[in-house]
Amino acid sequence: MAVDEAIFRVNRHIDAPPTLRFYGWASPAVSLGYFQDIKKEVDVEACRRHRIHIVRRPTGGKAVLHEGDLTYAVVARESNPLFPSDILGTYRVISHCISRGLALLGIEAEMADNSRMSDGGSLKASCFSSPSRYELLVRSRKICGSAQVRSHGVFLQHGSVLMDFDPYKTCDVMLPHADDCEGQVVRLNQSVTSVLEHADRPVDVGELCRVLMTGFEESLGIALVEGTLSPEEEEVKTQLLKNKYMNIQWNMKGGCRKWI
Amino acid sequence: MKVFPDDLFYNREHAWVRVDGHLATIGITDYAQEKMGEIISVELPEVDVSVELDEPFGTIESSKGVFELISPLSGDVISVNEDVMDDIGIINSDPHDTGWMIVIDMSDPEELDDLLDSREYHDFIIREAEDG
Repeated sequence: MAVDEAIFRVNRHIDAPPTLRFYGWASPAVSLGYFQDIKKEVDVEACRRHRIHIVRRPTGGKAVLHEGDLTYAVVARESNPLFPSDILGTYRVISHCISRGLALLGIEAEMADNSRMSDGGSLKASCFSSPSRYELLVRSRKICGSAQVRSHGVFLQHGSVLMDFDPYKTCDVMLPHADDCEGQVVRLNQSVTSVLEHADRPVDVGELCRVLMTGFEESLGIALVEGTLSPEEEEVKTQLLKNKYMNIQWNMKGGCRKWI
Repeated sequence: MKVFPDDLFYNREHAWVRVDGHLATIGITDYAQEKMGEIISVELPEVDVSVELDEPFGTIESSKGVFELISPLSGDVISVNEDVMDDIGIINSDPHDTGWMIVIDMSDPEELDDLLDSREYHDFIIREAEDG
């Protein structure tokens, strides 16, 4: 999160090319959307029990359980010609890149065309319980969720591509808990799917990452160049890590105070 | 075509300013609210908090994402629009008037010189749309 936000912040001052990052999580974690109320959305005690960390994202949207997913981040200036100026257009372009990558694994993913189509069986806190426009579905079940933050003419889009999905743990850590837990699991399973369920061959996260990179390259007509953080991005990342993302005040409550 | 009131100043981050002596009322423009879509949450500073020119003074979440609200001026917050907290829809329905967000006591009124008037702002958003 600190790396993504550092790139996002520094892009305000420079005319850098867009950045695409893929990453996994060192240990399982729940990421909360910027405005989510942790008390209403996440069972903190269940997270402790499962040794799941909690972090708040700078982007919007709902909570995501990061365990068996591949997370991506795209940072670009709104004026970059690779992306349309309208916000939904950006979601559409990035979804197209991911869809093209998933096709290389034999997965036919389609973009959702209606906002918040289903409630996934009352588990409203979970990102994967309800597809937004241009998010990706496989046979009407969500496989990739995404969310954005915009400031100073720059956008950061986070997304999570599900490699595998554990509906029991999701129900355990997300609120509200249903009286009918088994029913909630069934309904969640009906609205969420994963790469491993649909790929035409055994896939690991490295291969998923490679095909998604190809999807971005082919869809945008670009060649990705591997990079590292600039000294300024490193410095901002360090400040954000210390002051914001390792700060219980941010992770539990959020807020627009100055963090760096 | 959108109409931007002549008595307001604008920054390039789509905030407007209405000046009354040392006080400045701040909100977001009709263009901004339309771009964001249906606004569902807003976070504004408390009274007595200082805001800085070109830095975030608040955050909005809409159906499309999260947007930082970039302050067009520096100063101390003396009033926050509680009506916005009670009925967030007024930011979408009446952004230039009842959907105002904060009033600040300006610390450097000369910062007004760098803001756009309604005609300049109108031209700016046309250029922004063309460039995007």
